[in-house]
Amino acid sequence: MKQVFPHEMIRSELEEVVGQHFVSIDESDRLVYSTDWSWMPQMWLDRGEPLPPPDYIVHPGSAEEIAAIMEIANKYGIPVIPWGGGSGTQGGALPIFGGIMLDLKRLDKIIEIDEKSLTVTAQAGIILTQLEWAVNERGLMLPHYPASANCATLGGCLAPRGTGTISTKYGKAEDLVLSMQVVLPTGEIIRTPPVPQHAAGPDFFRLFLGSEGTLGIITEATMQLDYLPEERLLRALLFEDLGNALEAGRRIMTRRLEPFVIRLYDPNSTRSRVKRILGYELEGAYMVMGFDGDPDIAALQERKAMEICRELNARDLGREPGERWWRQRYDFYYPPQNLKLPWMYGTTETITTYDKIEQLYRAVKQAVEESYADWDVSFIGHFSHWFHWGVMLYSRFIIEEPPEDAQEALRLHNRIWNTAMTAVLENGGMINEHHGVGLKLSRYMSRQYGDAWPLLLRLKGTIDPNGIMNPGKVGFGFE
Amino acid sequence: MIEDVILTTENCRYCLMCRHVCPVGRVTAKESLTPHGWGLIIASEKRGLVDWNDSTIEALYSCADCGTCRAHCVTDQPLPSAIAAARAEVARQDLAPAAAREIHAKLQTWSNPYQEQAPQASAGQAEVALFVGDDANFLAPETVTAVLRLLKALDIEPELIGVGRNNGYLASSLGFPETAADLAQTTLGELARSGASQMLVLTPGDFYAFGQMIDERLGVAWPAEVELKEVTVLLAEALADGKLSFERVQDHEPYAYVDPTHSVRVTTRYDAPRALLAALVGRPPKELYWRRERAHPAGNTALQYTQPHIAHHLVYSRLADAQDTGAQVLITEDPGTLVHLKRHAHRFGLRLQGLYPLLADHLAGG
Repeated sequence: MKQVFPHEMIRSELEEVVGQHFVSIDESDRLVYSTDWSWMPQMWLDRGEPLPPPDYIVHPGSAEEIAAIMEIANKYGIPVIPWGGGSGTQGGALPIFGGIMLDLKRLDKIIEIDEKSLTVTAQAGIILTQLEWAVNERGLMLPHYPASANCATLGGCLAPRGTGTISTKYGKAEDLVLSMQVVLPTGEIIRTPPVPQHAAGPDFFRLFLGSEGTLGIITEATMQLDYLPEERLLRALLFEDLGNALEAGRRIMTRRLEPFVIRLYDPNSTRSRVKRILGYELEGAYMVMGFDGDPDIAALQERKAMEICRELNARDLGREPGERWWRQRYDFYYPPQNLKLPWMYGTTETITTYDKIEQLYRAVKQAVEESYADWDVSFIGHFSHWFHWGVMLYSRFIIEEPPEDAQEALRLHNRIWNTAMTAVLENGGMINEHHGVGLKLSRYMSRQYGDAWPLLLRLKGTIDPNGIMNPGKVGFGFE
Repeated sequence: MIEDVILTTENCRYCLMCRHVCPVGRVTAKESLTPHGWGLIIASEKRGLVDWNDSTIEALYSCADCGTCRAHCVTDQPLPSAIAAARAEVARQDLAPAAAREIHAKLQTWSNPYQEQAPQASAGQAEVALFVGDDANFLAPETVTAVLRLLKALDIEPELIGVGRNNGYLASSLGFPETAADLAQTTLGELARSGASQMLVLTPGDFYAFGQMIDERLGVAWPAEVELKEVTVLLAEALADGKLSFERVQDHEPYAYVDPTHSVRVTTRYDAPRALLAALVGRPPKELYWRRERAHPAGNTALQYTQPHIAHHLVYSRLADAQDTGAQVLITEDPGTLVHLKRHAHRFGLRLQGLYPLLADHLAGG
């Protein structure tokens, strides 16, 4: 049981920093901030089981206020958990040890739009779609289009190194950031260099990208913009053979034809998700491919890409299925057509090089399907973030009738993840590509990094000596 | 109805896809005061994780019931109606906030929250009825006068109905559906007695109330033989047909049009007021960021009684948005929106103007 006296002392000090109105210990707030978008806590609440809530929910209005909050947290040795949109799928924002939940959404100002350099500087708590609408009014776009754009914040995209639908051409969130303001766990407010490409020593600012609030809090970022494309050419194709489809994607990317999207669904996804959401009943691997920008260049790129696809026996389904996918690409995430409770599901997304990707896909699929056949598990996947050297596999397992008991369900979920991650690591994959580590993947960080892991632990100890920042996440906080 | 609540909140409790448009979530920056937050609180009460107590009831009564979440929901989840139904459950347990009960008592007795004055009885008959309601009657009666002048220019002399009576939305939103149904049915009774085949309304809020809300939330059917139409839409059609014209306003200050509260619930209405203004001023209005299908409310919902500080923030937010456009004058037709913005407009260096009086004052040949 928490001691009332120190609890009220901390609360008072927090109120002195941000004002009484912006500190809450309210039951409703503590309930809602006890879960993020990950399956584990949602299932837990769904089964009527309470989650560990934060002790305080604080809404700071500036980096200076956050710095002052850090001082309080260090003094009392209590956790600080940054909260953006709460849309993480890995439990990265769960207050598993209580503490101060720092909701950054009051930091929602656009500071500057530079139409010459094509950059926008904004506070980290702004919701992506709101930022996008603002730059759209000037004929510009922030080319980071994750499915969570309606709820995720700018900082929430950078902290876990997020990816978006059009990142194949425009890059991940981390590729779009020029500079950031960060509040360190020790309370210093720092600015990273104004541009990312230079040779003034190590690229230390990238430490904060992927740190998920364990090394500091991103409070402001300058992001690269692009002109809204004059043209978006979309088209869908069907491959009988997934291997041919992967090869088509590889050739398109290695010839630098610059598609803004290649979304390749495996046969299970084509049969289930494509049919359910888009209404097409197809057998094979469904691919949506898009080129944008200058109409002449986009048309040429598309023509070259189509030649490659034809060589690999693709069936051209025409523009409408591709355009429909673009229009409805986020419909997959709206209930009741999304993955939802009481189902069990998890996205074991991973990435590797082209030489390993098909083997990796088949290994994870086989491991999950064979190990959990008794649960009638289904395994679906798509390949959607393509690089010059490899591609991301967005694979998911789904069990429609999981155990009713919350504890049993959680353990089964963890076992399936362990099976998938073991197959990933044994086949040259990374434990994730863009969903972050959070709580869910924390236990794989030492295996992922091997001999390099102690170095990361030492860095964490230096930057956050009292271990206050988001403990239990990204592999930190258990030592 | 309560089963519907459970079904909708089961869908919304873990969905974050409309967070970006929720006005209350935006001005409070609180996760619990977003569609997902309200969904989760209601669903958690059903699971015994929380009770209806001061904290959860305060959160429940912090939704503006503006419809923006639903307007942006691909699968059209009726969360605002679900929240209203959850409030009704709370009210049945006699747990509704004091402010809600106080307004409810006024609605029961006087049919409006503003004055201790019963609605004017309507006894006449006409081809067209005009629903006046309580906002226009008590907050901006010049609106009604102006609309009558505009309609007369089209040879329409409507029978006024619902003069001084709330359309039922307020009682529904506060969690008192029986009172809401009584108010709506009384107006529909007047409408039936008038023999009108068309009922005109002054605001999108009234259009939503009669066109959707009474059926969906209260089980009160709109008479199928009667056409429901907003006055702005009627006027814009007449303008396009050459049946109506205005004397051009010379050297009008920079102005913006404010989509009234509930505009998002009537997606076919956005062009009509803009066309009227463009014809009047000679140039289109400046546009707010929160406009058209993402237009935020201006505080004139039940929130003004249950959470007045949030309602104020909605007003400030709307005015700040308008200020950013560089406009000096804001124009809107909804008396509720107009009055709420007007109270604080001076702080932002803005002036408010009612659309209908402005149009009526510049009727060609008028």
